[in-house]
Amino acid sequence: MSAASPATAAVRTPMAAIAHWLQRETGAREVRITRLERLPGGAIQENWTLDVTIVGGEWAGVHEWVLRTDAPSFVVASLTRSQEFAVLRVAHANGVIVPQPLFVCGDDTVTGRQFFVMKRIPGIAAGHRLTRDPGLIPDGEALAETLGANLARLHAIAPPQPALDRVLPPPKSNHALATVADYRAYVDTRNDAHPALEWALRWCEIHAPRPAAATLIHRDYRTGNYMVDAGRLTGVLDWEFAGWGDPSEDLGWFTARCWRFARPDLEAGGIARSEAFLDGYEGASGRQVTRRDLEYWQVMAQIRWAIIALQQAQRHLAGGERSLELALTGRIVHELEYEVLAIIAEARQ
Amino acid sequence: MNAMCDISGAADLLATACDALTQELLPLLPKERRYVGLMIGNALGIASRELQTGAAADAGEAQRCAMLLARSGIPLSPSIEAGPAALAQLRRALCDAIRAGRFDESGAQAALMEHLTRTASDWVSISNPKALNSTGEGE
Repeated sequence: MSAASPATAAVRTPMAAIAHWLQRETGAREVRITRLERLPGGAIQENWTLDVTIVGGEWAGVHEWVLRTDAPSFVVASLTRSQEFAVLRVAHANGVIVPQPLFVCGDDTVTGRQFFVMKRIPGIAAGHRLTRDPGLIPDGEALAETLGANLARLHAIAPPQPALDRVLPPPKSNHALATVADYRAYVDTRNDAHPALEWALRWCEIHAPRPAAATLIHRDYRTGNYMVDAGRLTGVLDWEFAGWGDPSEDLGWFTARCWRFARPDLEAGGIARSEAFLDGYEGASGRQVTRRDLEYWQVMAQIRWAIIALQQAQRHLAGGERSLELALTGRIVHELEYEVLAIIAEARQ
Repeated sequence: MNAMCDISGAADLLATACDALTQELLPLLPKERRYVGLMIGNALGIASRELQTGAAADAGEAQRCAMLLARSGIPLSPSIEAGPAALAQLRRALCDAIRAGRFDESGAQAALMEHLTRTASDWVSISNPKALNSTGEGE
């Protein structure tokens, strides 16, 4: 096991290939890459700073972009880069605040992996920083309201969407029950049993809400996955888990306790009260969100995070990726179980 | 764990190593290595606490789980033996009963919730005791 990242060599050597590919995409006479550097974070996908100088063609000039590609090591059930690009393009076209998608390379012979290029947006995404440093978000309520309204624009996108036909699996007739079945299928592959998760899944089965009309949902819309610059939302990142589903799933995920970082008392992603977020959402969507709906999808959010934590632990123990960070992520399961039981206890009253 | 012995046991060694790391080494680490230092401290703390109370947590869970299954009239396979394998089998039996709807009824649900919450809180006090304090609950 070497500590050096194989990704460095894998993408750096095809710099010329990327430049050549961009030249064709932009119809330029010449494309010079002046900077290509891996950005921190991203266990599944990698983001690279991409600065280019383009000579000739409609893109002539100096540009600050980001290149997003798969990490070499690990693949969970999520979208490919070209599928993610298609979703991002639909979201952008419908007014969702995202980094503008520019070019996609679905041909993995160019660099060895699929990738796409988007405009670079300014700001900070790190959840522990955003929830700890009030200087970064002077008005949390206003930001939460913007995030709610922004999510409403995403949820206004309903199937069928020709651009997403062959990109996303068709919506399930009952998203909540289909989600329970998915999580059970994973739990059943494991050697160990987790009664608290099993009970939370049973609770979600018994209390499943009436099926809602499916919309496009992000499935990882939360603090840590959006960029904030001078207190304002500059874009929502990481669209790899997007799909058709019950829009309330995104609301539960955003407000779930596990995504409040330093401020567990602020239900809206550790930045504001839930009212501000829901006001923005309800105002822009015309949908009413009930407390019951929110709690239901918060329970589902905790289950989902617990399952991801179990998967991370498995990568460390059995997946050939020895890592203290993955091992410790597995230990989060206890806390997630404890919290999910607390939400269920409250909902029972 | 090591009451009969006047030298440090495993739990005390880990706890002491954790203190030495966080007090003496962590401040010296360059910023970009600090996170690794914090993770090691976290791991040592968890391991030390698990050595102290993990076995008792498991024993309590096994006992409660067996009682819960018995009270719900769920027969246990006679092959369940004592020891760590027993707990794994009890958990599996409980999971099967939960999925089959044996704890849907309100009274059974309350007993199940009590058992699961107790088990979870025992393990949170090992994995991340701060999380118990932040929700205003503790032992």
